[in-house]
Amino acid sequence: MAKLRIIYESGEPERVIEFDPAKAPFSHDGQPGSILDIMLANHVHLEHACGGNCACTTCHVVVKSGMNKLSQSEEAEDDLLDKAPGLTPTSRLGCQAVVEDNDAEIVIVVPRFTINQVSEQH
Amino acid sequence: MSGSSNSGAPAPSQRAIYRATIERIFNHNADTRSLFLRLADGADLTFIPGQFISLELPIGGERIIRPYSIASDPEDGQPIEICLNLVPGGVGSAYLFSLVVGDSVSFTGPFGRFTLDRAPALETVFIAETTAIAPIRPMIRRALANGHAPITLHHAAPTVDALLYRVEFEAIGARDPRFAFEPLIATPDLSGVELLQLIRNRYINADQNRSRQFYICGVGKIVFDLRDLLRGAGYERRAVQYERW
Repeated sequence: MAKLRIIYESGEPERVIEFDPAKAPFSHDGQPGSILDIMLANHVHLEHACGGNCACTTCHVVVKSGMNKLSQSEEAEDDLLDKAPGLTPTSRLGCQAVVEDNDAEIVIVVPRFTINQVSEQH
Repeated sequence: MSGSSNSGAPAPSQRAIYRATIERIFNHNADTRSLFLRLADGADLTFIPGQFISLELPIGGERIIRPYSIASDPEDGQPIEICLNLVPGGVGSAYLFSLVVGDSVSFTGPFGRFTLDRAPALETVFIAETTAIAPIRPMIRRALANGHAPITLHHAAPTVDALLYRVEFEAIGARDPRFAFEPLIATPDLSGVELLQLIRNRYINADQNRSRQFYICGVGKIVFDLRDLLRGAGYERRAVQYERW
């Protein structure tokens, strides 16, 4: 079983989800087996204004651990992240980062108030 | 944006949720229409050309998210216009097509980074497929508002009826020498091939100028194919902006 630990910058209680990557997709949104897919299926909210279609950056998360257990980002994701203020070297879009290892232990941080959110709320 | 999403999970979004009334409906053709939305309670919506809103649709006991690009201009205020087509088997579009004038919808937004905020300094080429003209339409108006650079629009669709806003673009082209409207009636199964060929001939093979910028919006793989074609030919990465539906 793989494990996804979610830390909230806002101080909300952490969440830990255990799942079997081989059983993806788990929900309806994002790439099958993506962080977004896993979270939604476990009733843990993650913004995804474009429906998990890699067209916005509202599901931006920062990967603290397990980066090498995730799918490589593709050009479309990198192009979007380029425009996301608050970008870090381990930033990913939750809708595109797919957990590929059955024993992966992924730790992510959900930013609280990214500049991204502010600028997208005109 | 006219994609799909179906979220049955709780949605403790902290974003402002707008309510709006459908003030008018315009049918572009048999399966494409525009909804004109007026926000409730005197609320206002500020957005940048190219952005979209995420409609939250109550369907089957779930909250289904459907993102739609704003097809109207920020300067025009309300009602704001979204444009959608009836997707076979699509519950979201079927729901929206069932609504009538006076009905209400809820949405969050605006969102999106596929935007054009100010008139470009460089020659700019817009490429759109069918309803993906929606975000491009306000971009063109912004681009022409106070800029001097030449603007070209390539709009590909299978029929003349599917060239949304055709009359409007033709009128702009007739009065503004900076703007060229070049529609492409594409063979349905070959639309990607024909569009790629057009862009390759016009902006790669015809000259060595690589200082243009591009805004591409469409459905599926063709968007990535156009992106790769242009970047691979020497256009700067950031000069090729795109949104894939």
